[in-house]
Amino acid sequence: MRRPQKSCPFCEGRVRWIDYKDDRTLGRFITDQGKILPSRLSGTCARHQRQLSTAIKRARYLALIPYLKGHTA
Amino acid sequence: MSRNYEAVYIFDSTLEDAAINDKITRFHGLLAASEQPEVNHWGRRQLAYAIGPRENGYYVVSRFAAEPTVLPEYERALRLDDGLIRYLITVHEHEVGAPAMSDEEIALAAARRDDDDDDED
Repeated sequence: MRRPQKSCPFCEGRVRWIDYKDDRTLGRFITDQGKILPSRLSGTCARHQRQLSTAIKRARYLALIPYLKGHTA
Repeated sequence: MSRNYEAVYIFDSTLEDAAINDKITRFHGLLAASEQPEVNHWGRRQLAYAIGPRENGYYVVSRFAAEPTVLPEYERALRLDDGLIRYLITVHEHEVGAPAMSDEEIALAAARRDDDDDDED
């Protein structure tokens, strides 16, 4: 069964490079536990998914987005 | 051959603004950059997770062009500074506000993705 074709939100927004400082956009691509959303769910194309994961890892290092969400240490 | 870099600094939020500015000018003095580095103060901000005992930090983003040879000295000064909680230096090749992807590139990407999908059926 052919799954519905989800278009890449970054291609749609004509974004050429994903900025690791833009934590609001990156926040939309992590799960409620803080994990990176897989491209099969977010519909992101491979090129932007690679940029997205690097940007998220940098943003995590800079404490712009959390490593773990909802985790009581 | 100088390259463009982008550095994000997280300072201890208990420092006064004047002290932070002094530190930044001292760091950038080490770079011997040809043009004046671009400094963008984000200000005090809640950290997404605690770094040591601190819950918030003072963020500064700076862009500069420098020779790769001066970076080790500059980074050593960053590491030795107590007021600086964390920093991240990246090579700034792609201008984030670059011209958007042209239609052909989007069509190409979509076409490539459709090819990949056909193999699955």
